[in-house]
Amino acid sequence: MPKLTIDGKEIEVPAGTTVIQAAEQLGIQIPRYCYHPALPIAGNCRICMVEIEKQPKLQIACYTPVAEGMVVKTNSPKAIEAHQSVLEFLLVNHPVDCPVCDQSGECKLQDYYMEHGQYNSRLVDVKVKKQKKAFSIGPTVMLDQERCILCTRCVRFADEITKTHEFGVFNRGDHSELDLYPGKQLDNKYSGNVVDICPVGALTDKDFRFKCRVWYLGQTKSVCPGCSMGCNIEIHWDKSRPHSHKKARVMRLKPRLNPDVNQYWICDDGRYDYRFIDEKRILFPQQKGAPISWEEAIDTIAQKVRQIQGAGQMEKVGVLVSAQLTNEDIFVIRKLFKDTLKIFHVDFRVPEKPGYSDDFLLKADKNPNTAGAQAILLQEGGISTKEIIQKATKGDIELLYVFGHDLVKLFGKETVEQIAKNVKFFVLQASNWNETCDYAHLVLPSAVYAEKDGSFTNCQQRVQRIWPAFAPLGEAKGDWEILSLLAEKLGIQLKFSSSEEIFNEITQRIASLSSMSYEKIADQGMILDGTRH
Amino acid sequence: MLHFVQEKEGFISPESEKEIAEHLGIPVVHVHEVISFYHLFHQKPKGKCHFAVCQTTSCALLGAEEIIEYLKKRLGIQPGETTPDGKFSLSVVECLGACEIAPMMQCNKDYMGPLTKEKIDELINKST
Amino acid sequence: MQKILTRHFNQANSHRLDTYLHDRGYEGARKALTQMTPAQVMEEIKKSNLRGLGGAGFATGMKWGFIPSNNPKPKYLVVNADEGEPGTFKDKYIMERDPHALLEGIVVTCYAIGSHKAYVYIRGEYVKSMQILQGAIDEAYQKGFLGKGIMGTSFDLDVVIHPGAGAYICGEETALLESLEGKKGFPRLKPPFPAVVGLFGCPTVINNVETLACVPHIIVHGAEWFAKLGCEKNGGNRIFCVSGHVNKPGIYELSVGTTLRAIIYEHAGGIREGHKLKAVIPGGISAAVLTADEIDVRMDFDSLKAIGSMAGSGGIIVMDETTCMVWAAMVAARFFAHESCGQCSPCREGAGWVYRIMKRICDGEGRPVDLKNLPGIVGNIGGNTICAFGDAVTMAVGSYVQKFKSEFEYHIKEKKCDLTSNLQEAWH
Repeated sequence: MPKLTIDGKEIEVPAGTTVIQAAEQLGIQIPRYCYHPALPIAGNCRICMVEIEKQPKLQIACYTPVAEGMVVKTNSPKAIEAHQSVLEFLLVNHPVDCPVCDQSGECKLQDYYMEHGQYNSRLVDVKVKKQKKAFSIGPTVMLDQERCILCTRCVRFADEITKTHEFGVFNRGDHSELDLYPGKQLDNKYSGNVVDICPVGALTDKDFRFKCRVWYLGQTKSVCPGCSMGCNIEIHWDKSRPHSHKKARVMRLKPRLNPDVNQYWICDDGRYDYRFIDEKRILFPQQKGAPISWEEAIDTIAQKVRQIQGAGQMEKVGVLVSAQLTNEDIFVIRKLFKDTLKIFHVDFRVPEKPGYSDDFLLKADKNPNTAGAQAILLQEGGISTKEIIQKATKGDIELLYVFGHDLVKLFGKETVEQIAKNVKFFVLQASNWNETCDYAHLVLPSAVYAEKDGSFTNCQQRVQRIWPAFAPLGEAKGDWEILSLLAEKLGIQLKFSSSEEIFNEITQRIASLSSMSYEKIADQGMILDGTRH
Repeated sequence: MLHFVQEKEGFISPESEKEIAEHLGIPVVHVHEVISFYHLFHQKPKGKCHFAVCQTTSCALLGAEEIIEYLKKRLGIQPGETTPDGKFSLSVVECLGACEIAPMMQCNKDYMGPLTKEKIDELINKST
Repeated sequence: MQKILTRHFNQANSHRLDTYLHDRGYEGARKALTQMTPAQVMEEIKKSNLRGLGGAGFATGMKWGFIPSNNPKPKYLVVNADEGEPGTFKDKYIMERDPHALLEGIVVTCYAIGSHKAYVYIRGEYVKSMQILQGAIDEAYQKGFLGKGIMGTSFDLDVVIHPGAGAYICGEETALLESLEGKKGFPRLKPPFPAVVGLFGCPTVINNVETLACVPHIIVHGAEWFAKLGCEKNGGNRIFCVSGHVNKPGIYELSVGTTLRAIIYEHAGGIREGHKLKAVIPGGISAAVLTADEIDVRMDFDSLKAIGSMAGSGGIIVMDETTCMVWAAMVAARFFAHESCGQCSPCREGAGWVYRIMKRICDGEGRPVDLKNLPGIVGNIGGNTICAFGDAVTMAVGSYVQKFKSEFEYHIKEKKCDLTSNLQEAWH
């Protein structure tokens, strides 16, 4: 393996590594626009130039492979001059839209100007004008041709990643324009990613347009709950002014790098489906539509449970778990209902129509934790959801406890009407309002994934962590926290001080998670057999 | 292929573009890129007589600027435009590799030079 | 002086095969194919000091030597007939007046490098050249000088013409390859170089038309003879193209060691009546401009490089005292701005910016700070780009500012040109 020196620091890397990659491993970030680790090399921005001993001209770090004994200087006077000159050239025709540009605060022209520029502008001439400014190129993205620095990241993305070939660079010289093929729209299922990779404000997100300045955003790592792929994400929420934006906390979602799951990408469905975190939330416990206190609500349920327990009719209890819940939630459900209360009719499988899937990131199973539910609930004994519902409509179920599902959507209004009529006590524990809420006898507000500390297991059998961005909205509580309260009321010892405590118990009880811990899972996840890939 | 289509039809229409892309198995956006990059490819028909006047150093030294002004006046159009009757179009281009007959221009396929006001008048009258 | 490259140019029907055969036509090819090995041919070219006549002046034999011998991929010869360098028009004459000379050069070269397919990339505007060359190719196929079993040997070779479409940058080797492959003429990142990864990913040699036309003569008369025609390290004659304010613009075949003064005054008839020489571009617009007292330089590649310019394509553009050098710089800057392919940032934005500054100064809207900034701005383009176009902008446009600074100062201060006679006079 070749050994080389970069800025005085030595490093040994596999042959074929480029200088820019080797530098990154040493923590040295060479400036770059056109270079992106997931895209083919273009080498056209020229800002990553570095000085290499014994070579007369500066070389671009993104394209130069390392060699034994190479001595690289990324911040020599010559290299700094080159960085500055490229910056100056890029800013010659760039409209200084910063005050009205969404990219401000996360713009690579701004960032590198502060790091490598800070020169007095020499431009006295008119800037080149281009045709399309603030131009919609599809349902999700806006294009500004003047801001574009023609790095061609988006062109390469559309050619190599989505293979949908929307973008091209037309004309030549400084009249070159980035555009779509005339008449075409950017409407593939991964269109939002081009906004992420655009280093400047040429491609901006319509959904986020003018919404919030990025320096107000807090960032929390999480996992998208949209499907079983479990793409790693970051939740960006407004931390300074929680009362603005019509009470919405989450401003946008961004993909988070995970080479084994979603690389740098996320599908549009996952990216734009965050409004449910703040909208149509169930904010307080309700009994037949009227708000009640948590004390009252838990009491009522506990009473019912004791009643059924006393009559020895635990087979008349049905629990519909959701694969939207975390491993920790599901484990506490199992511990309370199955292990302690000996309720066997506990199932998470519902007759959902498989959603759209492709050979990239979209999976047909639109639940984030099917694998987790499977691993933890172990379906021996007990009847399936379908049978539970059948029994419920006939009145053979005394207590139906549903987590999250919209039964109206799954089984039809009539069925749910029957359930509401014939089941003695129908509890719905959910985060967002759905039609079933009107039929449930008791509705408990629960937290959404963005408010939870826990883990999901994706379709690769990978356990991945999620972190809470903020506290649950209104009076909502975390799912397992609610069950802890119920357990306490029932005199069952099921108190946990943290999700981690629950997880550690899971690792002791479930073989496939036995070698895991929150620390080991970290932010990139761990495969169920315990081997980190 | 693009030369063939343009030779036959005088320009490359969006329909032709799509057909070419399909035939070659490449995304149509990249065909469009190629057409927009090269000066000899047009997406709109040019006049029957297309004057491409050279403005680079050798021709410029020998009066190319005046020729361009004269043609603009005579034809009543700006570079890049075609006369309303479709007879003439005017372009200003860079070196055509005929500096020995500067100042010169290419009229459709033929090189013409050295140019004078009289020669231009003759050409225009002949083509009308 | 012995005329080699241009000896047929003024003959009737010089483009026809029978005329060519009359004067030892295809003798070089026959000798190479039947009496020499490819390696011997290559060695002969190396010894001749033949250097690329398209502009870069790279030693031709050395370039051929870069073709890897053990590579199983097919090898290609690409003939660069894009001739876009302003001031240059020699290849046009070779293709129109002596096309078989080019074809014979192609045959010998392909034999030497092991290629069985040659593409001739001719700029799209050269319609007449394409027609005549195609005619010559057809003749050659008919009479067995191209195609299968050339001249009765076991060597096969196909030659195909591919028209360009109006982009100067396609004269750059790797941009030409891209264009040949049907894409935009964007120069490639190097390495790898075309000799290893070229056309369709295969080893490729790209040579200029005139360079190839020299090859058969070297085979027939020997490398030493060719080398002696020129000077140290740069052998042979070349066809100089003279244009601008001279009495006899046109092509002149002379030894590469001829001085610029001799070319202008002895051959091209000197400056127009009543005028004095002011400046000369010695090798196409990409070469640094020379002042009137620099014309005693020899026109070989090394001599011109030593004085900070280049022999380039041999395109000599002569300017007399009626030429405003600020205006000339503007014309050059305009050319580069129009022809920049736009792939990399310094050239794309820089060429346009430099042109806008030049235009402003030329139009009387220059500011003192422009002259202070120009060298830095122009200097930042070269050395930072993907191809030599950026270097050309820096060298060429920079040379006007450097050598005629007082004219720029006058323009900026007085907001007009100090030349009373202007170009109206130039046009008759």
